[in-house]
Amino acid sequence: MMKKVLALFTTLALAASTFAVEIGKPAPDFTGTDITGKTVKLSDYRGKIVVIESYNSDCPFCHHHYQTGAMQELQRDLTARQVVWLLVDSVNPKNFSYRTPAQARAELAAEKIDVTAWIDDHTGDIGHLYGMKTTPHMFVIAADGTLVYAGAIDDRPSPGGDPRKAKNYVRAAVAELLAGRPVTVARTKPYGCGVHYAN
Amino acid sequence: MRHFLIAVTAGVCLAAGVVHAAHTRVQLFLSAGTVRPGDTIWAGMDLKMDAGWHTYWKNSGVAGLPTKIEWTLPAGVTAGEVLWPLPQVIPPAEVTTYGYENEVMLLVPLVFATNSQPGPVVLKANVSWLECQDQCVPGSTKVEATINVGSDTTRSTDAATIESWRSKVPIAGGSLPFRAAWENPPASDTRPLLLEFSPPANTKLSQITAANFFPDASDNFEIQAATETISNPSAGFVIRKLVKKFSGDWPNAINGVMVIEHDGRRYGYEVSLPVSDQAAAIAGTAVNTAGQTFTIPAAPKPSIIRMLLYAFIGGLILNIMPCVLPVIALKILGFVSEAKSEPGHVRKLGVFYTFGVMTSFAVLGGVVVAVKLAGHQAAWGMQFGNPVFLVALATLVTLVALNLFGVFEVTLASGAMNVASNLSTKSGLSGAFFNGALATALATPCSAPILGSALAFAFTQPVSTLMLIFLTIGLGLASPYLVLSWNPAWLKFVPRPGAWMEKFKIAMGFPMLAAVLWLYNIATATYGKNVLWLGVFLVFMSAAAWTFGNFVQRGRGRKRIAFAVVLILLAGGYGYALEKELNWRHPVIETATSGSLKESAEGIDWQPWSAAAVAQARAAGKTVLVDFTADWCLTCQVNKKTSIEITSVREKIKSLGAVALLADYTHTPDVITAELSRYHRAGVPLVLVYPKNADAPPIVLPEVLTPGIVLNAIAQAAQ
Repeated sequence: MMKKVLALFTTLALAASTFAVEIGKPAPDFTGTDITGKTVKLSDYRGKIVVIESYNSDCPFCHHHYQTGAMQELQRDLTARQVVWLLVDSVNPKNFSYRTPAQARAELAAEKIDVTAWIDDHTGDIGHLYGMKTTPHMFVIAADGTLVYAGAIDDRPSPGGDPRKAKNYVRAAVAELLAGRPVTVARTKPYGCGVHYAN
Repeated sequence: MRHFLIAVTAGVCLAAGVVHAAHTRVQLFLSAGTVRPGDTIWAGMDLKMDAGWHTYWKNSGVAGLPTKIEWTLPAGVTAGEVLWPLPQVIPPAEVTTYGYENEVMLLVPLVFATNSQPGPVVLKANVSWLECQDQCVPGSTKVEATINVGSDTTRSTDAATIESWRSKVPIAGGSLPFRAAWENPPASDTRPLLLEFSPPANTKLSQITAANFFPDASDNFEIQAATETISNPSAGFVIRKLVKKFSGDWPNAINGVMVIEHDGRRYGYEVSLPVSDQAAAIAGTAVNTAGQTFTIPAAPKPSIIRMLLYAFIGGLILNIMPCVLPVIALKILGFVSEAKSEPGHVRKLGVFYTFGVMTSFAVLGGVVVAVKLAGHQAAWGMQFGNPVFLVALATLVTLVALNLFGVFEVTLASGAMNVASNLSTKSGLSGAFFNGALATALATPCSAPILGSALAFAFTQPVSTLMLIFLTIGLGLASPYLVLSWNPAWLKFVPRPGAWMEKFKIAMGFPMLAAVLWLYNIATATYGKNVLWLGVFLVFMSAAAWTFGNFVQRGRGRKRIAFAVVLILLAGGYGYALEKELNWRHPVIETATSGSLKESAEGIDWQPWSAAAVAQARAAGKTVLVDFTADWCLTCQVNKKTSIEITSVREKIKSLGAVALLADYTHTPDVITAELSRYHRAGVPLVLVYPKNADAPPIVLPEVLTPGIVLNAIAQAAQ
């Protein structure tokens, strides 16, 4: 078991060194396990637009996007247009905000979260690989596997007010991709709570 | 009358499981009781955070949210911009933020118009903040205060508090020569930025221990928290920051606070700097050669009170570190024999023990001051790198062991023989004093958690503070005995004195012998194979002690002849073994400068440490583990055995191709002392793990290690 974990660590460390997360470059591949126990591999979604969201619903910023229903609305809109949405939860198991797979499944249902998969990343491997700093921290990957957006969900760094009135960078980036245009805002400064990584 | 109202804090209710109660309490203070129309007063918005929680600065950094104040003011009163006291850097390194722990007072100037109507006015504000610990909770509350508009402006009882917080606000740095320049042309979305300054008036460059830059928030770019100091003795102080661009052009000016540390304090200067495209604008870059230096997290803001508390607790913990244990056994023996005597005497013994400890610490402090004044680097435990001290201590501890075995007695008080007493269990006060001194001498090679930060602080302080901290450590070390001796009733648990004590006393000689062995082993580092002659001398001396005890102290006649034999044994042993063969005062010290320092065939492939070796390994993209250690440092040896030189760590290093460097501090070379002080340590142990990414700061491991700490740090560094 320990060996396996070490091996995984090494592979991911190697992956991290060969691919830096950079706009216009291929998004680094990863393999994770979702909260139903299914294996999720990023490269399996090649050919589709992929949105990655770093998630922690106890974080007031994330929570606000869900409490107002704005995030679920965006998820529904995009997944209806064949966009893959991967939610990555990198909270370490010792943290108050950690969710066991069972708790996560309950939260997914209760909050009506509409995503392709909720990946349990409690080791922080995927979070570190992508340099996720905050919750939420958003990434958009084009159908050809190129990273086209990294940064904040919108231009309104606040845990209050109406997120629908903000300029949503993810919605804009996906719309531009679908229209075959280049993404205008490719990088923004992410905001939110720090990701509660292990150590 | 106090001009504030304690706010009823309204924690915002979130999803189930989220903490509802706020961990921050807000109060509004005013600098004036009454105010004259046309005057400006200060409002102090005081946020008190529960332990472990923090709120944010005007630029919260990578995560977080700045605290916000929204005023509701009557006509004629206007609020100015918030002045923010200098914040702290809040870890973890990967998500660094700027904020405040424990308490902060945000300061706002309130201007009263010349036509303000006399009488009481109510000043109201809504304060909202984000407080974080392991999770984040937004909070908001309403506060208000009443002030009288009158014919004069009078100070309120809170004016002094507000002034003390105003002194923590960065001052305008316009008059100081600060410069900024890009180091390289743009290559990717991150770009290194150099910041340089000359020391402020009355400060020498060498006194500056660290510098940092806390940027104002910007949506277009982020000046990252990691800081590299570029040592440059000939010009100004230069730091390197990485700037990550999100959108737009590279900034041609930066705003924020330049933070400079000297005299153990941090000073903030508000600056607005044009950024030059010419790295040559920075004088320091020309000399930036192999001294490629690293990111050092700022030391926690030192407060004397906290450091004194740390010193006391650290001293207390020293009691259970392995170094001092043999002496503790002696103390127990002392208490057993004294427990039933009159309380006054027991108390006196406790006081004299404390006095012995404190005197020794005062001497240690004096030595540190003297060494520093002589222009050398001083460090905790440095005397163990001195062969004269080592031999003297080995001799002394051997004598204590022999004394416990009953080979000879010590009669300090008078010439009269006193069979029942001896050096260490002696009911005499001098015995207690000696015990204290011995405890101190043996304690110094051990550092303890918490003690480390107090010591590091002390070593940067002026003489009086340094002595105060040293004495406080001594008080901490002595306190358990002082307290016990003050309440002899608490000693009821100890068994009655009796014949068993004689056996126990002899048994206590063995830990002392073990201590001799340990000192002997340390001496090996200095004398190499010649250390044998130290052993020979100890045998001669033991024979002298036995002759003295048996024929001089307890003998019936011919005492003079016996005494002559003692002198011959001592002189012979000293002259031949120590002086002639060992050359004990001027040993030839051999230190490895190249080649592997491997301890065993499977052991970690240690290479000798140097700043250049670190730079080289990092340039090659390797993770680097550095162990700053010394043969005499027991804490270091324990760390090595339990958490570094172990199979899992060996394998991890091997599989990652990481480089392991050993910095041997046994002979306290100045270059290592300097390196230790950069990491705010006054001595070893110090273990650093440099991440593969050469721009990232090294991970500083705690003083006491576990395998998990080391493995996690290496894994993190290799990512």
